[in-house]
Amino acid sequence: MRLLLVEDEVEIQGFLQRSLTEAGYKVEAAGDSRNAERLAIENKHDVLVVDLGLPDEDGISLILRLRQLGLNAPVLILSARRSVDDRVRGLEQGGDDYLTKPFALAELLARLRNLVKRSTSPNTEATRLRVLDLELDLLRREASRDGELLNLTPQEFILLEYLCRNAGRVVTRSMILDEVWGMRIQPDTNVVDVHIYRLRGKVDTNGRGPLIRTLRGVGYVLRDR
Amino acid sequence: MFSETAKPTMRSAAWRLSLWATLAFACGTMVVFVFLHQFVAGDIQRRTDAWLAGEAGVLSDVAGRTPKGALYGRVVREVAELASREVPHSRGPGTGQNDSVFFLQTANDGSLALWVGAGDANAHLSAVRNSRIVPNTPSSLHISGFDTPFRVVCVKMANGSNIYLGLSERDELRILSQLRLRFVLLWLLIVFIGSAIVFYSTRRVLRHVREITDAASRIGEEDLSSRVPTTHRNDEVGQLALTLNRMLDRIERSIRQLHTITDSLAHDLRSPLTAVRAKLEMSLTTSERDETSESIVSAIEDMDRLTEFLDCSLDVAEGKANALRLNRVPIDLDDLLRVMIDLYEPCMSEKGLSVQLCSSGWLEISADAALLHRMVTNLFDNELKHLPSPCKVTISLSAADDDALLVIEDDGPGFASEVSTHIFERRIKGRNSNGHGLGLAFVEAVVRAHGGTVEASNRSEGGARLTITLPLSAAFSSTVMKPVASASV
Repeated sequence: MRLLLVEDEVEIQGFLQRSLTEAGYKVEAAGDSRNAERLAIENKHDVLVVDLGLPDEDGISLILRLRQLGLNAPVLILSARRSVDDRVRGLEQGGDDYLTKPFALAELLARLRNLVKRSTSPNTEATRLRVLDLELDLLRREASRDGELLNLTPQEFILLEYLCRNAGRVVTRSMILDEVWGMRIQPDTNVVDVHIYRLRGKVDTNGRGPLIRTLRGVGYVLRDR
Repeated sequence: MFSETAKPTMRSAAWRLSLWATLAFACGTMVVFVFLHQFVAGDIQRRTDAWLAGEAGVLSDVAGRTPKGALYGRVVREVAELASREVPHSRGPGTGQNDSVFFLQTANDGSLALWVGAGDANAHLSAVRNSRIVPNTPSSLHISGFDTPFRVVCVKMANGSNIYLGLSERDELRILSQLRLRFVLLWLLIVFIGSAIVFYSTRRVLRHVREITDAASRIGEEDLSSRVPTTHRNDEVGQLALTLNRMLDRIERSIRQLHTITDSLAHDLRSPLTAVRAKLEMSLTTSERDETSESIVSAIEDMDRLTEFLDCSLDVAEGKANALRLNRVPIDLDDLLRVMIDLYEPCMSEKGLSVQLCSSGWLEISADAALLHRMVTNLFDNELKHLPSPCKVTISLSAADDDALLVIEDDGPGFASEVSTHIFERRIKGRNSNGHGLGLAFVEAVVRAHGGTVEASNRSEGGARLTITLPLSAAFSSTVMKPVASASV
């Protein structure tokens, strides 16, 4: 998976390059839009990570120009701005995604995965999800563990479905808020944790091995091994 | 509403101005006419009197010199008829008889001596007898059988007889009435034209003022980049537009400067925060020891809180300067509150709090989604952090006129008296609060930026009440609210 990283802050570029390489991407990095454009034309990347605050050009102008030049790969926009401007929203509707700084690395990776998945396999929706002994019937909205039906509320089912789809990978609180409740907010209280505790109380009971793990300071992960 | 749209002209300043101007104009021209009328009437009478005096003099002269014989009557009659021919026949030349002039001579004893004129001599004689006409002074005399009075002059002869020469005022009155008629027609015409000119010219000027007002209010609400329309003329209205535009230039520069500062502040802080957070995260994955990771985790959480605080702080600063940037989209408040309650309910019940929503359903406002979500999050966080157990939170949502009314009540301890007057100011918080004190200031900033109001009070039965109004979206107001309103009428 080839990835083009466009970020001018040397320090952030450095650690992003390291973590993305660790995550299995072949990373090429550029510090300004001129180099980014050259690299994007020379090599075909599967996904791009573009910071908006580039020294020589606005990140969105770069993306729009690359799109005009025939770039199809999805873009994850990094923004240090407080408000998301209309053009970013437009790109988001066009299939791209954005992330505001500072972000959790897990969230960056998750959003990248989603982008790549969306662009490569658009609609092969499974009707059942299976993680170890946990099984979700997406049509009947039912979850069972080891064959035993779990008594979940609709909201809990959506939350568990999201965890299952990302089984084995970390999901952060803000990712859960965004995906399950559709809001990019940062509550000052532990609202998400309580939802997870409740869900865990229903999923990890009767002496079965715990599936939902908490990674303090990062988020949650549904074990798949 | 109907009368406002139906008769906008009647309410305009142009209409009022032209009414007053027309009134002043009409009164002024009327006064001028009255003076003119008096002058003309006086002048005509003066001329009539002068003619009468002259003719009477001639007649008395002739009567005095002519011997009293058989020819006396004929001579005087001819002279009198000659004089009467100078006066235009009021009944047209065809009648032969001229009833607008008469000549009358009375004898010493007052009996009729000589009569020249049309009509009944006795009527004239009795009228002359009954009046006290001072010799040589023209005066008005009513004679029975005539509508209009006569102007009569009397000359006393040496032999004691009196000569009366009378001229009907009919012509004089006819001239004056024609003058009046023409004047009234002319007066109506010029008053109408004048008022129309005043109305259209003031309306043109005021329409420009209206355009400026509309543009200025639009600019105040929406974007600061557009300007009020200017004219090429350098008059007062043109100056007003130019001054407004110069003021807008200055405001726009200030606001842009504020945005530049807040944006670069956010940007300059977020970049190092990103680097620090990444380092912490990486050391978290590599660190094995629990006590180290514990402090790293709390450092990450502190950083996230710091980021949120930074955002809120800058939003409040912009909100206080009325410079919060909004990206408005239609949002269903009812749906948003349901989602929020769904999110917060477990956490609240865990803490022994209950929450209840009273809503009549779909209520659409036009708002910035990100800001509104964060604002409602703040409201819920606020309740969650400050309420002791067990307490009940009631959230009611309804429509009032063109506003959405959101009331959040609880039966907790209410706002502390020391903060309740400054509840929406920055960094105000109760003694026992552990928040950053920006929550309600942020709520107020967001609500105000959307054109709404927020009010905090303590309920009489105990507990706090927060009342928020937000303008409904125009589409919702016109399609949902109006049919309901008209159906209820």
